[in-house]
Amino acid sequence: MDGATLTVDKVHKRFGNLEVLKGISLSAVKGDVISLIGASGSGKSTFLRCINLLETPDSGDIRVEGELIRMKRDKTGNSVPADNRQVDRIRSKLGMVFQSFNLWSHMTVLQNVIEAPIHVLGKSRAEATAEAEALLQRVGLAERRHYYPAHLSGGQQQRVAIARALAMNPAVMLFDEPTSALDPELVGEVLAVMRSLADEGRTMLVVTHEMAFARDVSSRVMFLHQGKVEEEGPPSQVFTSPASERCRQFLAKHL
Amino acid sequence: MDPTNTLPPDSVPLDAVPVADPSFFDGLVLFLQSVAGWIATAFDGQVELLGKYGWRLLAGLGTTLEMVGISLAIGGLLAIPVALARLSRIGPIRALAVSYIFFFRGTPLLAQIFLIYYGSGQFRPFFESAGLWPIFREAYWCTLIAFSLNTAAYTGEILRGGIEAIPPGEIEAARALGMSRWLMLRRVILPGAYRIALPAYGNEIILMIKGSAIAMVVTILDLMGQTKLIYARSFSFEIYLYAAAIYLMVTFILTRAWARLEAWMNPQRRPPRAA
Repeated sequence: MDGATLTVDKVHKRFGNLEVLKGISLSAVKGDVISLIGASGSGKSTFLRCINLLETPDSGDIRVEGELIRMKRDKTGNSVPADNRQVDRIRSKLGMVFQSFNLWSHMTVLQNVIEAPIHVLGKSRAEATAEAEALLQRVGLAERRHYYPAHLSGGQQQRVAIARALAMNPAVMLFDEPTSALDPELVGEVLAVMRSLADEGRTMLVVTHEMAFARDVSSRVMFLHQGKVEEEGPPSQVFTSPASERCRQFLAKHL
Repeated sequence: MDPTNTLPPDSVPLDAVPVADPSFFDGLVLFLQSVAGWIATAFDGQVELLGKYGWRLLAGLGTTLEMVGISLAIGGLLAIPVALARLSRIGPIRALAVSYIFFFRGTPLLAQIFLIYYGSGQFRPFFESAGLWPIFREAYWCTLIAFSLNTAAYTGEILRGGIEAIPPGEIEAARALGMSRWLMLRRVILPGAYRIALPAYGNEIILMIKGSAIAMVVTILDLMGQTKLIYARSFSFEIYLYAAAIYLMVTFILTRAWARLEAWMNPQRRPPRAA
């Protein structure tokens, strides 16, 4: 699709005998906020991880800003990236935020944020630092920039992780259950940052269990069930009149 | 029984004991004088011993520290490829590293020195044609090679443990940000692994310092070699005590320095510092 920031076409993924993704497609234009919801094991996290090739899809096409990630078959017939440099380059355009933050523990907050802009994008330290400080200001952690991750709460660590992903100025932000590892009272501060990103027109894919966020912030909601898209549409439609019975049951349990 | 009557009737009152017996004091003074004299003679003897041979101990210490330092530097550099090969996804590369580690951890260091020192003589024409004979004919260089290869095997395993102990999420985050494998290794994996491996590596250094005493067997005058030489000339067994004290001192200093290094390398363990 022309003009799409991200298109995913019929992605399949299996782990051994277990087929986790059975042909999932998605298309996001700039400013889309797509929430992926579904029960544990529905494949939503695996799908997200296939987009930046943290998991290698067995088949299917992924295009980021129109550029197809080229894949090939290795000797045993497995699907592997044809060009690792291309994968690295595309990954740098996809900012990922993990459930468990994954900050580098031996670096300070500021060092975590400037690391990739300096060493992957080749920015100067001064430029990267200035941008990082602005981003840390934005997520409310400027005064903690010389702290180590071990000294921060989970919510603070996740906000740093968001700043680290934003520092690459990515075309799409991928959120993999960003609030699932947080204490309930810390969820709000992270959701607030994500909301502000949606408001400024960031293209976002969010795997989440926060139904209120999915309903209020997303432009589109996808309900995954057993590796397939079971229901898809604007939140008003998915949350009020889902066509799928399974989606209805899932929402009844989670709303 | 009446408690006032517990002493035997013929016992002497306490104030009648001859405390100030002059012969008792004379004996004590004589005894102390002889002890002092013996100590003084012994002290003079030790001063003389150290005066005559102390430089040898220090020179030996210098050789020990030099050999250990150089082999740790070479072994430390070799340990990185050893650890990476050990973790390689390519079977033959991994097998090579596993065999290397298996051999150097599984055989005595002394045997490794002999193998290189005496073994190289068997291949003298080869080493001569390769221009390496000046290295392989010297006990010093052979020992240094054996030390380096030995510590590289141990350090490689220590480093592998450090690499494997890095939280997978930290590596995943690096991949997700588009880091190449090499960049990730340099900026995330090795810095993390060094921190984790630091205590175990301190142990390896101490073992190397003490293990290096074996070098004397191939005529090297390290601290132990010099000590044995001094003993052969002076027949003063105390020289072994001095050598032991020097080894202890080196280990003590290293242990303290290492504790500081560990604290310095792990600022995240300290309380947070205000921005």
